[in-house]
Amino acid sequence: MSAATALAPALPPRRSRLRLIVALLAPIALINAIGFLAPVLNLARMSFYEVEPTGAMREVYTLATWAKMVTDSFYAELIVNSVSVSLGITLLTLVCSYPIALYLHRSTGTWKTILLVLVISPLLTSAVVRTYGWIAILSDSGLVNNALGALGLPPQRMMFNLTGVTIGLTEILMPYMILALLAGFGRLDPRIEEAASTLGAPPFTIFRRIILPLTLPGIALGCLLCFVLAVSSFITPKLLGGGRVFLLATEIYDQAIVTLNWPLASTLSILVLVIFGGALVLYTRALRAIL
Amino acid sequence: MTDQSTAPGQGTDGTAGEGFLSIRGLTKRYAGFTAVDNFDLEVPKGELVAFLGPSGCGKTTSLRMIAGLVPATAGRIVVGGQDLTTVETHRRDMGLVFQSYALFPHMSIARNVAFGLEMRKVPKDEIARRVKEAIALVHLTGKEEHKPAQLSGGQQQRVALARALVIRPSILLLDEPLSNLDAKLRDEMRNEIRDIQKSLGITAIFVTHDQGEALTMCDKVVVMNEGRLEQVGTPVDLYERPKTAFVASFVGRTNRLKAVAKDGTAEFAGQRVLAPAGLSGPVQVMIRPHRIALSPSTGGEGVTGTIARAIFSGDILQYDVDVGGQIVSVELATRGGETVLAPGTQVSLSWRPQDIFVYGAAA
Repeated sequence: MSAATALAPALPPRRSRLRLIVALLAPIALINAIGFLAPVLNLARMSFYEVEPTGAMREVYTLATWAKMVTDSFYAELIVNSVSVSLGITLLTLVCSYPIALYLHRSTGTWKTILLVLVISPLLTSAVVRTYGWIAILSDSGLVNNALGALGLPPQRMMFNLTGVTIGLTEILMPYMILALLAGFGRLDPRIEEAASTLGAPPFTIFRRIILPLTLPGIALGCLLCFVLAVSSFITPKLLGGGRVFLLATEIYDQAIVTLNWPLASTLSILVLVIFGGALVLYTRALRAIL
Repeated sequence: MTDQSTAPGQGTDGTAGEGFLSIRGLTKRYAGFTAVDNFDLEVPKGELVAFLGPSGCGKTTSLRMIAGLVPATAGRIVVGGQDLTTVETHRRDMGLVFQSYALFPHMSIARNVAFGLEMRKVPKDEIARRVKEAIALVHLTGKEEHKPAQLSGGQQQRVALARALVIRPSILLLDEPLSNLDAKLRDEMRNEIRDIQKSLGITAIFVTHDQGEALTMCDKVVVMNEGRLEQVGTPVDLYERPKTAFVASFVGRTNRLKAVAKDGTAEFAGQRVLAPAGLSGPVQVMIRPHRIALSPSTGGEGVTGTIARAIFSGDILQYDVDVGGQIVSVELATRGGETVLAPGTQVSLSWRPQDIFVYGAAA
């Protein structure tokens, strides 16, 4: 108490402090209200508007679009497909990133700095450019197929299908995953691993019983981040999927820009938001179980 | 421990020394410097041995080589007749207590202690029984379900001790286990570790930079300096018969004085003292402050000096006496009623010949 009053002598207790907190929070709250909350509410409202057969939107409320979500199996499939593809990509990203993050965590000095810069450097290029890079590698006359051809092997279709989207997105998400994992590796301590070793634990047991549990917070954070990014990613699935891989983000784009069915696009957007909310709840639960 | 007959790396030439733990020629070289140089040691079963030395002397590296956490460049480590030099850490059957405790933060106290037994595939009910015993041994009954972070430093170190002991290791290794504890707790843990080690009859190695810990707790002390073994002996040996100038000055307090030796005798402030044969030129003369007798009368036996400073600290009265330009500290146990001599007073100092040590002036 005395320390608190010493630090903020000008503040009479409670009410004025509350006023200060409100005053400090107001600007960001305002920005969020105008820039985020209002559009989302508007989106929610739009999802209840009626669509005429011509495609024009009428400001008449109806449950028709939402009913379509339930009755038309295409949308149920779209959601299940989006979530499962994103989960798969997240898992693959985790598997690819974990060893790199662990190695990075354990390296020291200049070497660590160099590696860290290498990990972050892809983020300096836009996802569009990197996706075009993958097109150059994966397309029918790309690097991989040329190499296969030179070896006398049959060409592989790696673009305009799920394989291409998965490869591209995994690579694009890896820097995020590695950084999130590193942020969550704080509890790792070489002494703890040595202690386990002296107690009779062989290397793999140390990984399973010590390293893995201690890095779970990082894994949870990385998976949440990458899942959210995967579900909402649009450019990479659009370019590498070539309109043949149906995911929520690409479908929203098509409905909003191509078909101009805004109520449908709004409804799908709200569903994406619900999925994010679900992921966040799951993350919080997981974190509570871990710690 | 039934797997000893099939364990890899078992010595076939059976050259086990007298000790239960036998270390021969153990060396660790890194690029550019030698951390541990030709370390030889025999430790009989049930002894508590201290590795004592300043930081960077190689004591922790030696301990880590015994545990298998650092591979040895050369030399052999034999325990109970079995050569462990190339055996992996997790097959060595040693309990190690770290300075930083190194408890598993995600496991309860009971799970921490049970870990080593689980690795040994001990049956569940036996694990439960032994964990309970080990936790009781370190006075932590009731804390079984706590997480390490919920315990104090002293309690955490006790868990670490229980975790290392519960596996009944062939050797208990303690790496500065008391350094992170405050003074009061340190004294308490010191006695506790000693009592537990004695009652279990376990062979143990205790790494420390604190000579007080080494002298009071251990059966034998290995003094190390710059990767080399300076002296091995009982605490009394080290204190009363230090072999090197380093040991004399590192173990206990001592006066280091400059003198010149000639033909087996050194001369210090006009008094002749015996020097080791063959020593000539500048030498170091060492004498412990409380082994010097001080009398206010000048003349007669001993060397004469002038009191430069008097420090009264309750149970000890310390005089810094200027003898021919060198300061000699003298400590007198107070008995009550003495007068503190003022600086400038002429005094004479004397000592028994066996209390003085002469070493070549290397440093």
